[in-house]
Amino acid sequence: MAVFELPGWTALAPALILAVTGLVLFVFDSISPNSTNRSLLAGTAAGGALVSLAVAVWFTFAGVGTPTVDGGLGEISILGGQLVVDQLALYFMIVVAIVTALITVASYDYLVDHTYQAEYYSLIILAATGMSLMAAANSLVTIFIALELASLPSYALVAILKDNRGSVEAGLKYFLIGALSSAIFVYGISLVYGATGHLQLENIAAVISGGDVDGYGGLLGLGILMLIGGFAFKTASVPFHFWAPEAYEGAPAPVSAFLSSASKAAGFVIAFRVFTTAFPLGETTALIGVEWTHAFIILAIVTMTVGNFAAATQDNVKRMLAYSSIGHAGYALIGLAGLTADGGEFVMGAAMMHLLVYGFMNTGAFLFVGLAERWEVGRTFEDYNGLSTQAPVACAAMAVFLFSLAGIPPFGGFFSKFFLFMGAIEASAETTAMLAVAAALVVNSALSLYYYSRLVKALWIEEPSTTRDRLAQPTGLYAAIIVAAVMTVVILPGFGPVVDTALEAATAIVG
Amino acid sequence: MSIGIEYYVLLSMGLFCIGLFGVLTRRNALMFLMSVELMLNAANINLIAFAFYHGNLTGQVFALFTMALAAAEVAVGLGIILVLYRNFRDVDVTVPTTMRW
Repeated sequence: MAVFELPGWTALAPALILAVTGLVLFVFDSISPNSTNRSLLAGTAAGGALVSLAVAVWFTFAGVGTPTVDGGLGEISILGGQLVVDQLALYFMIVVAIVTALITVASYDYLVDHTYQAEYYSLIILAATGMSLMAAANSLVTIFIALELASLPSYALVAILKDNRGSVEAGLKYFLIGALSSAIFVYGISLVYGATGHLQLENIAAVISGGDVDGYGGLLGLGILMLIGGFAFKTASVPFHFWAPEAYEGAPAPVSAFLSSASKAAGFVIAFRVFTTAFPLGETTALIGVEWTHAFIILAIVTMTVGNFAAATQDNVKRMLAYSSIGHAGYALIGLAGLTADGGEFVMGAAMMHLLVYGFMNTGAFLFVGLAERWEVGRTFEDYNGLSTQAPVACAAMAVFLFSLAGIPPFGGFFSKFFLFMGAIEASAETTAMLAVAAALVVNSALSLYYYSRLVKALWIEEPSTTRDRLAQPTGLYAAIIVAAVMTVVILPGFGPVVDTALEAATAIVG
Repeated sequence: MSIGIEYYVLLSMGLFCIGLFGVLTRRNALMFLMSVELMLNAANINLIAFAFYHGNLTGQVFALFTMALAAAEVAVGLGIILVLYRNFRDVDVTVPTTMRW
């Protein structure tokens, strides 16, 4: 196999391809700054994302990152272990590339009258580069840099409709909370560095296990707490979830889809890696006096409940999806809450599966909102009444997304939630509080069915309140929505490989 | 040389808390940005003091990265505050309320 001869840094190819694509878009922009050649720009961006996806999938099957005992090539560390390409990294690079490809294809139609085409696509691709690097970052330095590389373009993207008050307001709120949380995050990093003297995750773990941090347990504990704050911002979980409804509602719909799917997945991968690699549960507990899983148990329950209860009271569809996205962050947090000193790979694998399925169903749902914005039908549930008579295909796809988000059996969302539930039950053998998490998962899923089916009812059962003109059928948006819907459905028969990949990746990182 | 590490941590925590207080009380977006800068620089003090304490350079190098990223963040932030001013004729962060919290 050719992979053997390649130098180590090529293992980062999925991220590097995205970076090169972003630079190529900049070259286009500098050659003809006023170009609105949408096909060329969207095509380049989508092409780069698809190549990145293909390379990541190829690497996964070629065994890059698979431990050598399983017949793979072993995990590849780059720059002295600052970056590491293992199964976990490749898995999340795939998720990011999928979402980016869907978004760029859909943006082709969404941005039809937009002035700043090249800027938009290069910002999307650069943010995707940051998220892809977050998957591979193995030191608090690279984690922070990759996180900022993903965040800074996102702030600009949310506010990209410069003359739209909602978009600017959303950008401002996203930026303010983002800047605050990254300051807290970097202060947390400095405290962890103070307690251990290292920034690379394995070295931190070695110092903690070696018992060299006696007397600095409090500093370390405070540092860990602040790191959790940084992750909570990126994944839109309590206590830094305030930005999410505003940012998602005001931003252009493809950007909301991008932030709520890819950005959330990237936030989770760094949380998974930091907490499994750098802070081994048993030794860290001995130092700081509390198990950090308890923080995640509380956060998971609160995040699920806040997200779902707030979503149930919304009239605005995009805002409902934003709160539901907070709820889903709570489900994925179970993956961290369920970790135990000597296990928990099953529940973490389940969280990874959920994030992959979520990448399709949530992106699709936000893109449908984007389609509705382009039709200019309005923003509330009532405005969506009876759309199915005019656009049955898109509405059928939307019904698939919503039922999958709710976790109804035939769709992918059911399986990932089911695995999360099983994982939580399994973990409750060690931590009784996990039973409460499992119960919260069931109650919140039942509640979410109420507001998701309200939207399906509006689309399919209600009569239109006003007569509408014929609705346009933009090719790019339709293509992205249909691909997402098909994947949400076929991921069920194809779930075997996904389960295996996710579980192997989780086992490698936990074990 | 004789100054203990705990004084550096106290200084940085003080700076961090001043920054946090500013973030929570100021309504001017520019003041908010300056307060966040204070918080980032509090982290830099920690990183450099601990780099000296532990005798490795990791923290100092990371402090350089933090400064560069802080500058990039301010650049993006000022851009957003500029479009905020153009749209709302104000840089008060409590003025934009087209969406309810």
